[in-house]
Amino acid sequence: MSGFTISRRTMLAGSAALLASTAMPVIGWAQTPKKGGRLVVAADSEPRNLNPAIVASNGVFFISSKVVETLAEASFDGKDGLQPRLALSWEGAADGLSVTFKLRDGVIWHDGKPFTSADVAFSALQIWKPLQNLGRTVFKDLAAIDTPDDLTAVFKFAKPTPFQLIRNALPALSSVVPKHVYETGKIEENPANNAPVGTGPFKFAEYKAGQYYRLAKNTDYWGKDEPWLDEIVYQVLPDRTSAAAALEAEEIQLAAFSAVPLADLDRISKVPGLKVITKGYEGLTYQLVVEINHRRKELADVKVRQAIAHAIDKDFVVKTVFLGYAATATGPVPKNDPQFYTADVPTYAFDVTKANALLDEAGYKKGPDGNRFSLKLLPAPYFNETKQFGDYLRQALAAVGIDAELVNNDSPAHIKAVYTDHAFDLAVGPPVFRGDPAISTTILVQSGIPDGVPFSNQGGYKNEELDALIAKASETLDTAARTELYKEFQKKVAADLPLINVAEWSFISVARDTVGNIANNPRWAVSNWADTYLES
Amino acid sequence: MTRALILLRRRLVGSIFVLLIVIIGTFLLLEAAPGDAVDAYIVSTGGDAGMIELLRHRWGLDQSELTRLANYLWALLHLDLGHSVTFSRPIREIILERLPTTLILMGSATALSFGLGSALGIYAGAKPGSFRDRFLSIGSLALYAVPGFWLGLVLIVIFAVDLRWLPIGGIESLASDKTGLARAADIATHLVLPVSALGFIYLALYLRMMRAGMAEAWRQDFVLAARSRGLSRRRIVLAHVARNALLPLVTMLGLQSAQMLGGSVVIESVFAVPGLGRLAQEAVAGRDTPLLLGIILTSAVLVIVINLLVDVAYAFLDPRVGASEAGA
Amino acid sequence: MSVLRRFLRTPEAIAGAIILAALFAMALSASLLFPGDPQAIAGPALLPPFQDWSLPLGTDRLGRDVLAELFHGSRTSLAVGLAAATAALVIGAIVGTLAGFAGGLVDEVLMRITDAFQTVPGFLLALAFVSVVGPSLGVVVMAIALGAWTGPARVARAEVLSIRERDYVAGARVIGMHPLEIAFREVLPNALPPVLALSSVIVAAAILTEAALSFLGLGDPNRVTWGGMIAEGRTVLRTAPFLSIIPGVALVLTVLGVYLAGEGVVETTAVRRSLS
Repeated sequence: MSGFTISRRTMLAGSAALLASTAMPVIGWAQTPKKGGRLVVAADSEPRNLNPAIVASNGVFFISSKVVETLAEASFDGKDGLQPRLALSWEGAADGLSVTFKLRDGVIWHDGKPFTSADVAFSALQIWKPLQNLGRTVFKDLAAIDTPDDLTAVFKFAKPTPFQLIRNALPALSSVVPKHVYETGKIEENPANNAPVGTGPFKFAEYKAGQYYRLAKNTDYWGKDEPWLDEIVYQVLPDRTSAAAALEAEEIQLAAFSAVPLADLDRISKVPGLKVITKGYEGLTYQLVVEINHRRKELADVKVRQAIAHAIDKDFVVKTVFLGYAATATGPVPKNDPQFYTADVPTYAFDVTKANALLDEAGYKKGPDGNRFSLKLLPAPYFNETKQFGDYLRQALAAVGIDAELVNNDSPAHIKAVYTDHAFDLAVGPPVFRGDPAISTTILVQSGIPDGVPFSNQGGYKNEELDALIAKASETLDTAARTELYKEFQKKVAADLPLINVAEWSFISVARDTVGNIANNPRWAVSNWADTYLES
Repeated sequence: MTRALILLRRRLVGSIFVLLIVIIGTFLLLEAAPGDAVDAYIVSTGGDAGMIELLRHRWGLDQSELTRLANYLWALLHLDLGHSVTFSRPIREIILERLPTTLILMGSATALSFGLGSALGIYAGAKPGSFRDRFLSIGSLALYAVPGFWLGLVLIVIFAVDLRWLPIGGIESLASDKTGLARAADIATHLVLPVSALGFIYLALYLRMMRAGMAEAWRQDFVLAARSRGLSRRRIVLAHVARNALLPLVTMLGLQSAQMLGGSVVIESVFAVPGLGRLAQEAVAGRDTPLLLGIILTSAVLVIVINLLVDVAYAFLDPRVGASEAGA
Repeated sequence: MSVLRRFLRTPEAIAGAIILAALFAMALSASLLFPGDPQAIAGPALLPPFQDWSLPLGTDRLGRDVLAELFHGSRTSLAVGLAAATAALVIGAIVGTLAGFAGGLVDEVLMRITDAFQTVPGFLLALAFVSVVGPSLGVVVMAIALGAWTGPARVARAEVLSIRERDYVAGARVIGMHPLEIAFREVLPNALPPVLALSSVIVAAAILTEAALSFLGLGDPNRVTWGGMIAEGRTVLRTAPFLSIIPGVALVLTVLGVYLAGEGVVETTAVRRSLS
């Protein structure tokens, strides 16, 4: 996976050669895109609050990131994996108490007002810090923002905050919304939350509930000659089988976020006129994790947890559940992360004999019916794959004498059962790795989190050593030292198994051959699509 | 006429009790659900304890159940269906937006299953026990036995993907700016598949009922009398046998209206039709109690009105039916 | 004996009976022919049918034996259908008998409740109920019964209304039997036949409702049901159509069998009653 940049280049060059007309000279992957056209995209859910500054989630970004821009976007080859958007540069002070952003000049909002540092200050202090699902953690020590001029914003922190964390948070957490739209009335009830106003290449045009969202070209966009498309329409297709049919019937041109079921990809890749793209999600890695309730006495024993880890055939999971569109996991940081990942952690090979031996050692002998003990297993219902892995895990556990009963809940019931009521023994969850362990990963093992916080350690796990390590990393300013601490963190988690990381996956896009410039950054599906084009 | 009025009044008074039971029952059911609207919301966002508390307070979910039920009923007295937290819009608006779609879908599907079903039923029942009778009644049963979602998916694969005669889903072309007749034609093409899927499922009901009714009618005196008068077979079938067999079908129409709305949940989801059925599913998934209450209330009123119309029509069609019998 | 002969006179009833017999044979032999967990992984995933004779109908997404699932699925599908129908008939018969026999306010209240249930689309009720309580087989059965008991209740009430004025009921009153005893020992058994006639419709509808709930992700994942198999197979409808066609055909045959046999029974008893 470490060579993904190279393979990505090869892939893009290949598709570029395929896409470009024969007469066109192809240099690298630069092409001459065509202007205009309507891109129709499949959407499987309908986010109601479209303000990405409040709701930093991929479902919202998928639509809103074309309208509302962030300070910086992820990049395959930019410095620190970033490329400028509304900010041109960012500099952290050595004491970790301030970060200075230089902003882009000549940017105007969709309603014609100029974009200034006041908008950044307002967004950060009034929205990201108090209201945003992720920003409430990352920006908790943000105390003030100085705006010496219209194009400079200096973030002041009350406590030293690692610049690396702020940098890594920029692509997902720094959506800037207009102050003049939000400063009157309650921010949460502002009508612009449902019809966002931003600086992006597309303006929000209309939303027909149950049917579509439409974005129209922003003719005053700051990017030269951008955007290429006239319109983006998101067609709402709630059933998971319809995106493939719609692509084949040429009613839509793009289905992102694996809207086409994995099992259908092999067939669809052979349909003339369609292409399957596995890149463009490197910055949006989802992790397949077995969450463990440590309040169960059997599961509080590390030997039992290790036995479960040995009972899971990760290669089978990747091959069968994900049909190869995933990688096996070694620990809490995914293999494709360029900054923090280390392979130097304890690993658990698939070994039923060893798993049985460990369980015997722990004192849980097989009863006359071949069972050692029974468990309640709650697979998260959000993805086909989490449910299928639940089916598999039940079988894998049965093979080592653990009888697991599957509990099938819908999403709110699952959230309530696992994160508030703790009414589970094992759960299957898909946490997201967001480029820095401090954003949403350490919370999965850290103790002392109040009940009801979703996607956090609600299994009653408490390890003071790990807690101390997490606390230390959160205030370590030196990038190298901080990275080293997170490598230590991975080792400790893999050794003690507060949860079991099974696999890492991201998504697949399927598009018609006519769609160009797909997957040219690691968060492509949730980036601004300014350079995406349609061939005639 | 007065009989019909008495019937109408009795029905209306009864309906109010029925609606009250429906509202309270639905409210209690949804309140018993694990997870509330906030839990449903944070599935896609995550968030810390403070944010969750903030949301519960903002959406009024920190009030007691009784308070919320009382508030809801009080607002309902003023014909206010409340505010949906998941859509952040007034519920009346949302429902009114979806209602026409559902009415068109259900109306067309009912017309299809009733029209085609009774026609084929007459055709089959004209010769009870014949090959065509057996073929039609078993064939329609087989259609009835196919799960609706599966029938829908197969129709999509054949007619939308392979043949490309019809669109795969939705109610009309996306942002097409069509108006007037062009728009109506556009909507009609989009409805062919979902209406067929929904209508064919219920075809068997009407077909078999018609057929059974006709088999019964053949044995009755007035048919024998008509035969002895030497009327043509075609005339007997249409004027006497079928006409008598039609009455129970009209009753069925009223009873089925509620079931069809249930069936449309799945069909609307397969064909991406933005109707009430799918909205109801979203309301359940989002634990949006007032929205689900609004939908169930709307459908209940719809069903009551349809049944009322059926009863009144029935009272006119068949003089034997008195108000007391129809009121049960 | 003559009843059976009369039943077997129509070819539809014979076909229905054969299908049902085969179905029961499948259900009974499932654990003999396919011991162990039918959801165990038995081979490579998505193996097409008739390729490997140890897995004659191929395997599903996870490599589970489709034939074993089909056999075990017949059990759960039948169990769901029969249990839901029984529950609906029992609730319906009790409510209908009470309403019809007691009359007055009791009748009025019970019938308004019946109205309320009939006004709410049955599937919507099932959907909400299963989401609320959580999908396990028992809950699915209850949810289906909740939407299906109103028909039997109405029929039972109508029958009871016509029976309660008969001589033997009056006789029972004279000898001082408790009204509830009269209702359930004297009246209900006589009101039952037309109520039971509804059972085949309810069984068929129950099996289909379970399938639709599975489609919406509300099935019991610990059990194989045909509905669940179809719902899961639909995502690979184009790649591996057999995964939804095989259980689909089984489902259609079953519903047909239940229907046809049910109609045969109704016709037989109808003839017998008109004869007696």
